[in-house]
Amino acid sequence: MRITNNMLINNMIRHINNNLDRMSLYQSQIATGKKISKPSDDPIVASRALKLRTDVSEIKQYIRNVQDAQSWLDTTETALAHIGDVLQRTRELMLEAANGTNTPSDTQKIKEEVVELKKQIIQLSNTTYADRHIFSGFKTDKKLLIDDETSPDFGKFNIDVSMDENIQYEIGVGIFIRINVLGGDLFNMGQPAVSNGTSPDDSTPVLIQHFNELIAALDAGDLEKVNELLNSFDKDIDNVLKLRADVGARTNRLELTEYRLETDLINFAEQMSKNEDVDMAQAIINLRNEENVYRASLAGGAQIIMPTLVDFLR
Amino acid sequence: MSGGSFFGFNVAVRGLFTAQRNLSVIAHNLNNVNTPGFSRQQAIQTAATPYYTTDGTGMVGAGSEVIAVKRIRDEYLDSKYWSENILKGEYSAKSELLAEMEVRFGEPSDSGFSVIFNDFFASLQELSKDSGNEAVRSVVRQKGITFTDYLNNIAVQLEKMQEDVNIRVRAVVDEINSLAEQIGKLNQQIYTAELGNNIANDLRDRRTLLVDRLSELINIDVYEVEMGKLPDGRPNKHFVITISGKPLVDHFTVSKLTVEKRTTKLNEEDIDGLYDVRWEDRNDLVIKSGKLKGYLDIRDGKQGQNGSPNYTGIPHYIQMLDRFARTFAMAFNEGYIDVNGDGVIDPQEDGTGHADGFGANGSTGVRFFTFLDDTREPVDSATFMDGAATVDEIVKRYENIRARNITVSKDVNDNCNTIATSDTDGEIGNIRVLNAILDMRHNSQMFSDGAPEDFMKSLISTMGIDSQQAVLYAKNQEAILHQVDNARQSVAGVSIDEELANMVRFQHAYNAAAKLIVTIGEIYEMLLNSV
Repeated sequence: MRITNNMLINNMIRHINNNLDRMSLYQSQIATGKKISKPSDDPIVASRALKLRTDVSEIKQYIRNVQDAQSWLDTTETALAHIGDVLQRTRELMLEAANGTNTPSDTQKIKEEVVELKKQIIQLSNTTYADRHIFSGFKTDKKLLIDDETSPDFGKFNIDVSMDENIQYEIGVGIFIRINVLGGDLFNMGQPAVSNGTSPDDSTPVLIQHFNELIAALDAGDLEKVNELLNSFDKDIDNVLKLRADVGARTNRLELTEYRLETDLINFAEQMSKNEDVDMAQAIINLRNEENVYRASLAGGAQIIMPTLVDFLR
Repeated sequence: MSGGSFFGFNVAVRGLFTAQRNLSVIAHNLNNVNTPGFSRQQAIQTAATPYYTTDGTGMVGAGSEVIAVKRIRDEYLDSKYWSENILKGEYSAKSELLAEMEVRFGEPSDSGFSVIFNDFFASLQELSKDSGNEAVRSVVRQKGITFTDYLNNIAVQLEKMQEDVNIRVRAVVDEINSLAEQIGKLNQQIYTAELGNNIANDLRDRRTLLVDRLSELINIDVYEVEMGKLPDGRPNKHFVITISGKPLVDHFTVSKLTVEKRTTKLNEEDIDGLYDVRWEDRNDLVIKSGKLKGYLDIRDGKQGQNGSPNYTGIPHYIQMLDRFARTFAMAFNEGYIDVNGDGVIDPQEDGTGHADGFGANGSTGVRFFTFLDDTREPVDSATFMDGAATVDEIVKRYENIRARNITVSKDVNDNCNTIATSDTDGEIGNIRVLNAILDMRHNSQMFSDGAPEDFMKSLISTMGIDSQQAVLYAKNQEAILHQVDNARQSVAGVSIDEELANMVRFQHAYNAAAKLIVTIGEIYEMLLNSV
């Protein structure tokens, strides 16, 4: 096949250009650390990259949600513990009062303390977590029980809280966890909280009702009644323990979920990196390789394109 | 010595002339070693017609003569080059434009769709944990605006690109016309020159070069047709270039192409004033390949819907983005998700959306996404709904939403407490509606491709694959073209070494002829001096 000098030069230019093209690709891979800079470089890698990024961001969000849920439950747990302590103290006082060896003035003193304990319970019912009342169901901006001591409605439900006002946090795709304890569950033995019932006593929580009866009994010196009320208070203490156990179980679940999410995060982040990040060592070797080829083609090309017959004719 | 007294002398002189003629052809070749499109020329040298002797002692050679200067060119390789160049033109145009489109979408990156969409939903997640907090609500509004801004921006960029390609279409048509005109003129010059039984070598080279350029732009077929015979019996050849059967250049006649602004849009997503390309004589132009086709496919392609080119071009991507904006806004606002894809929202497809929820200030029926009006201001929910009451009427209102005008509604913009989270008024901690909205992110029945993020991922993948394909085809064509060009060069290219070797050869011939003249001269002198 007949070869002309121009063909040699054209071919050399074309090969050097291809070479530079590859060098430029490796160079930008090293500079960005990524295999691709636009989808067409590798559509499959690009498509996977988009999916993995979404997955990683979502997991991070779920971890945040789990941590926030745990804080809320911690506050709830503390409040329940205090309520439990108050009820225990009340029970002790009831035992003391019911043994029949007290003077009227001693009974009065017991009654004073019980009144204080009642106030404490009411305070605890309005516990807040970051400005939100934790037992008020969805109406987190409103108090559960009326805590104005001068009001005749002191201790009554301030708002209605039905039994399905469960606040759900999302901790996985389509996976929710209930983070609150309902006021009705805690103070009204599982009945919904009603703020203005048909009869005056309807809007008083059962727990507060027990306290009111106890205070009346102590006032009247009715020790038999005090004995009777021990049963009611035992039921109340059991109820609180039951709720505490539930909160504990949910906290456990959150801990396990957090652990799993952290593991998932590491896995997905690793996959994401494997998918789109370039192996630096490999890329540098490739670049060096291409550089060598480039030098060789320049040197070789220069050798053959320079001389013509002109140089040799006399 | 038969044949006249000075016969030998004449033969010697002929030798001189022949050598000189050859040397000038070599000089011409060497001069034009780097001229683009030049084909080397060769003097055709033959022995001159010999004389018959009258005394039967055989024929007497009469020296050499140059009867023609031939252009060494393989016409077949030229036509092969043109047919490959047409494809290269189409694919390199497409690969260039698709690469530009990919850059506009900006994926995968830290500022692309997936990050912005994710941030929006992350802000909604934070809202679900503290729905009374105005600072958190404000962030949701802001992320919503960033999201709609992204969609607006991409749509506008694509429209700008369409305008840009439109201008290029016009430029290509102008170039085609200009080249056609130049070829027509050259045809005239070549024809006139060749009437005198010459071959117009350099003019033909120039014409071939112009056809090379023309072949990149549009699908041409090139013929040299024989139209009868000239008076002296030689064939009367006409040079014809046709586009899909209709002549662009026919001997001296040039039929030009023209562009006309469309009065009705081909695709509803098109901008105004796109050009139609047709023959100046109002005939329809069938464009099959070439750079022009590449541009038109990208500018108009909507996968063959209502007469558009069968290619995924800009209108297709705009349509997809519009569909995304519309469907997502409708699902987010109203909770309507067309699961069975029949275009009608059946009762069971009517879920919970933003408009069904209550905001922190007791507002309800607020649409989170509306559209920008003609003054680019967000419209409020009431104006957007415009009195629609039934499901079908509401669905119809969403035809107003497109990717370029979707925005966060005026209600939400003015007061972020209108962002609805609760399904009951007055319950600030109630996040049932918000949870339903958060769930939509993973609803794989929202689009035929799946959930919202799947839809966009599929769109970007399609674009990536198309672009990669165009790049590969273009690279392939370039390689093929290079090989054909090499073959052309091999036949027609000037080799400096070859020409110089020939130059030495004819120099020797010249020297020999000159020596012969001197010798014969001496013979005559001796003869004359002896008289």
